Amino acid sequence: MPTLFAQLSTLLSSLVLLFGITLLWRRSLHAYVDAFQWQSVTLSIVFATVAYFTSNPELYVVAAIFFVLKAVIIPLYLNRLEKQVGERPESQPYVNIATSLASAGLLVVLAYLITYPVVRVSLLPTRGGLPLAMGLIFIGLFAVITRKQALTQIVSFLVLENGIALLAVLGTFGVPLIVELGVFLDVLMGFLVMQVFVYHIHGTFESIDVEQLNRLKH
Amino acid sequence: MIGYLLEIAQAALALALAPLLVGFVRWVKARLQNRRGAPPWQPYFELGKLFGKEVVISNNASWLFRFAPYLVFGSTVLVAFLVPLIVAPLPFDPAGDLLAVIYLLLLGTFCLALAGLDPGTAFGGMGASREMTVAAIAEPTIALAIFGLALGAGSTNLGRIVTQTLSQPGVVISPGHLLAFAALFIVTLAETGRLPVDNPATHLELTMIHEAMILEYSGRYLALIEWAAWLKLLIFLSLLANLFLPWGIATALTPAALGLALLALVVKLAFLGTFIAVVETRVAKLRLFRVPELLGVSFVLALLAIVSSFLMR
Repeated sequence: MPTLFAQLSTLLSSLVLLFGITLLWRRSLHAYVDAFQWQSVTLSIVFATVAYFTSNPELYVVAAIFFVLKAVIIPLYLNRLEKQVGERPESQPYVNIATSLASAGLLVVLAYLITYPVVRVSLLPTRGGLPLAMGLIFIGLFAVITRKQALTQIVSFLVLENGIALLAVLGTFGVPLIVELGVFLDVLMGFLVMQVFVYHIHGTFESIDVEQLNRLKH
Repeated sequence: MIGYLLEIAQAALALALAPLLVGFVRWVKARLQNRRGAPPWQPYFELGKLFGKEVVISNNASWLFRFAPYLVFGSTVLVAFLVPLIVAPLPFDPAGDLLAVIYLLLLGTFCLALAGLDPGTAFGGMGASREMTVAAIAEPTIALAIFGLALGAGSTNLGRIVTQTLSQPGVVISPGHLLAFAALFIVTLAETGRLPVDNPATHLELTMIHEAMILEYSGRYLALIEWAAWLKLLIFLSLLANLFLPWGIATALTPAALGLALLALVVKLAFLGTFIAVVETRVAKLRLFRVPELLGVSFVLALLAIVSSFLMR
């Protein structure tokens, strides 16, 4: 019989994964940002849960910073960016939605197969969530390469980043605080740089469809 | 012996409660939309009225058209015998497991689609083709979702799944269980013609599915089909309630346990009915071409439920 910690961490990880899958189903950028925001809220709950069960006070700090950065600041900026650039739904991704969903299912199965040897020898109480975190990374990557709008790609990238954070916290019970701070700074910087890129793409092509970038070749 | 009597009583209870459940959902929905709404027992009057009306049948309709309502009603009532409503290990359990339940329900859907095609009207054909599109994705999802539970319980028997879940309460918050619940809930909305997929409140809309198929029916045939559709909603909701949250269901045949089980069933159904009414008030109907995407979501959820309960044992 698994312990309460194991049950809770697996449950929360699957919720985080579910918000990742919602990304593939929705179209409007607003829905993307919503899904990302809820995913980040759930992920900070994961941090707090791990902090509670391993009695590691540093992780509470990480959970708080994570919440402020990813569930408040970045969604706020994304929504502002959306207003300035003008909303345009992800009408025609490279892979249609039904196929994306089926691929997401297959990717999660793949993640289970890949992590199976690790999970089998692992004694961590959180091992049930490891394949889910791996699956979220795959799904994030899949979303990045199949979506066409620059903004939806950014959100997909942030979801991928969430997957890595989930894998880290489940696998190590929290890396040292200074490392986490560095990662957060990286995320913020990366996001700001991408934001500048979006402005440039929008300024040059009056659209944030990355297919337009092909026109640069001629 | 008492078990068989109880079984018959349970099916009769399902038949009697089904109109009330639908009336309740309609009533809650009306209140949520600031309307007064018909009282929850209105569907009983509708049934009575329809049974008293004369039947009008098109000249082009064959025997299939007259036979289908009885088959739809009969197969749905048969399912009511197999689903645990208030008692968990049923005496009829050996007669049919979850596969029997799924295919009996599909038999009704299939016959209704044939009957929709039979009189040769445009609406009937449209409805039938749409219903088959939905059913083709929804049925495997139901099977997968319940298989996710069956894997945990080690049996495809619905009664066994319930008793196994009762003996291991921790399994209720396992991800496989919750994913399967979400998948089955979405499919329930699709299969019983509720809102994001089909609008049960309209009769003349170009995108209707269920109503388009039964547009040609009248009188007692219509009454039977409507009753079967309501019974289907009750069956799906009690599957959701009893497979995923089995507490309250009677495992012993004492009057106290049975009374408690009845109360628990009513409370669970009222809760799920209210939830459906809230969902129907909140969401708009999906475009027909987006319905397969919604069902795709629920298929993926069911698949993940299986994967996580199979690989994480």
